[in-house]
Amino acid sequence: MNNNIAQPAVSTKRKRIASLDARKARAGWVFVLPFVLCFALIYLPIIINSVTFSFSKITFLSGSYTLDFVGFKNYSDALFVDTEFVKTLTSGIQQLIFDIPAIVIFSLFMAVLLNQKMVGRAAFRAIFFIPVIIATGLIDQIDQSNTMLDYMNTTESGINDGSGQNTTGDILSIVDIEKLFENMKVGTELVEYVVTLVNNIYNIINRSGVQMLIFLAGLQSISPAIYESCSIDGASSWETFWKITFPMISPMILVNAIYTVIDSFTSQSNVVMSYITKVYTDSTGGWVLSSAMAWIYFLIVFVIIGVVAALLSTYVFYQKRD
Amino acid sequence: MNSQQTQSTPRVMKESKNKIRVDFERTPLKDRLKAKFLNGNFIKTVVVKLFTYVLLIGISYVILFPFFAKISGSFMSRDDFVDVTVKLIPKYPTLDTYKAIISSNKYFEALFNTFILSVLCGLIQTFMCCVIGYGLAKFKFKGNKLVFLLVIFTMVIPHGTLRLSMFVNFRFFDIFGIFKLITGNPLNLMNTYWPLALLSFGGLAFKNGLYIFMMRQFFHGVPDELEESAYIDGSGVFRTFIQIILPLSVPMMITIFLFAFSWQWTDNFYTELFIPNNDKFILMPDVVAIPKTLNTEYAARNLYESAIKNTCGLLILAPLLVMYVFLQRYLIGGIERSGIVG
Repeated sequence: MNNNIAQPAVSTKRKRIASLDARKARAGWVFVLPFVLCFALIYLPIIINSVTFSFSKITFLSGSYTLDFVGFKNYSDALFVDTEFVKTLTSGIQQLIFDIPAIVIFSLFMAVLLNQKMVGRAAFRAIFFIPVIIATGLIDQIDQSNTMLDYMNTTESGINDGSGQNTTGDILSIVDIEKLFENMKVGTELVEYVVTLVNNIYNIINRSGVQMLIFLAGLQSISPAIYESCSIDGASSWETFWKITFPMISPMILVNAIYTVIDSFTSQSNVVMSYITKVYTDSTGGWVLSSAMAWIYFLIVFVIIGVVAALLSTYVFYQKRD
Repeated sequence: MNSQQTQSTPRVMKESKNKIRVDFERTPLKDRLKAKFLNGNFIKTVVVKLFTYVLLIGISYVILFPFFAKISGSFMSRDDFVDVTVKLIPKYPTLDTYKAIISSNKYFEALFNTFILSVLCGLIQTFMCCVIGYGLAKFKFKGNKLVFLLVIFTMVIPHGTLRLSMFVNFRFFDIFGIFKLITGNPLNLMNTYWPLALLSFGGLAFKNGLYIFMMRQFFHGVPDELEESAYIDGSGVFRTFIQIILPLSVPMMITIFLFAFSWQWTDNFYTELFIPNNDKFILMPDVVAIPKTLNTEYAARNLYESAIKNTCGLLILAPLLVMYVFLQRYLIGGIERSGIVG
């Protein structure tokens, strides 16, 4: 008798436990609902439209527009008819692939420096993160063809013919550094790479602000106890860096590498994006052509991100947490 | 015998009942300095410090030099650009450039409009990204992974890809043909704040994927026990979120707001796409132009026009820099707190 009464109570209790989980799951859906709704109702149509546009010809009438399906014509136009696109694409991607390791290594190096205790650390940090705020959008656009800065950078007072491109404002030339590397027997490719990097330093600093922040966050999260035991064992700071800091920060290297790829491939200022923008603004036919170009570009970027993630994730060391 | 004793052990003298005085045999100053400064360790630290400071100052210079150049360029008059002897310090300083930009490019109107737009977008984005990040971090539901992948996807896709279709979709805005049924025509949302507000509301605007990601990582670091104890005390999910989680994440939200605000402030892609040049809404991109009141037909025209554009850039940046000075510690602290750390 007693048992019979108790039975339903247990079952309702079970039901309530299950329904709490369900309620939490529902609450989770409510939290992400704005994103899901807007994605489904606004973003997805935009993406689908963009794909359909890349396969068709668009004509704007007053108050509406019409689409004519043309198959792969835009894509073949972009790849085979447009003389500049493939050239820009290959050179742009090549340049970006060279830039990415430079940005990641530079930001790691700077983060390690800025993580030390020293006089004026706060001031240096503040200066180093200025580019995060300002090197975007409009300012980036202004800086792209900045004849005045080039002019101010030159130390020679050559006669200014008004074109603004009178003298080279490079910090280093290949000749300077070849002397340095002469006895090291490294190839000229490496020398050229280093020289372009040094001359691009402003660009690289501007693009490594967020990465520096992420690395700094990572460095702060390494427990000081590990460093302490390391120094008791008599490790030099060089060994400490490679044996402790580097493995502990390797997840951040993965995050940063992917962030850098995304950031530099999608930024308005890179060569391919600005070429696509130029095609977009040039003519009416360019609208759909630029869509097709952008999709080709996106596929390539996607593949590159996949490759980078796959390559790096095999080397990443995760500290076991308990 | 006596002298040996004084060398090995310090002399102790009793001054009063409770007080003693100890005299140590001190090594001479010269030897002490030698021991302190002329060893490998000290020299190494000095060299490392020197190297660090030279590097840091050098890179700070690289970052700050364009500022100085722009500032000095903004005070130069037309004649300075022709003069070969003038480089960084103007010979005929003038405020004409500023005056012309402020009056004929309607700087203050742009400042006001952009401020409203950026605050609006910044607040919506911060709050929505917080909500979405919380949902992704703390709740296990079917499709959680999928939603997160979609967030990453919006981050990866170059927004140039969606340029035309964004324009078309917001020019002829319609959801399931509802607006066409009511008004007969799809809505035209061009030249309003609606497209940006809608995108911000869904966490789909510029770089919002990054904010959601940061928020998600931050909430991963918040211990579950906090919410569990709130649930036990009888608080619902949403009340817990508003009363416990939101106050907790204010510093992180300030970081996100700083990003969202300043990136919206200098944004030209979305602003020019949705609010193209018109007289109603003067925004920051419209400020970057050569004012008609300045006569640039002169020998060093390129340089002068470039200097004017840089001055526009400075004027755009000025409010941001003021804000940065006050809020930069949140920028650094926020990311450190977020534990993007995996």
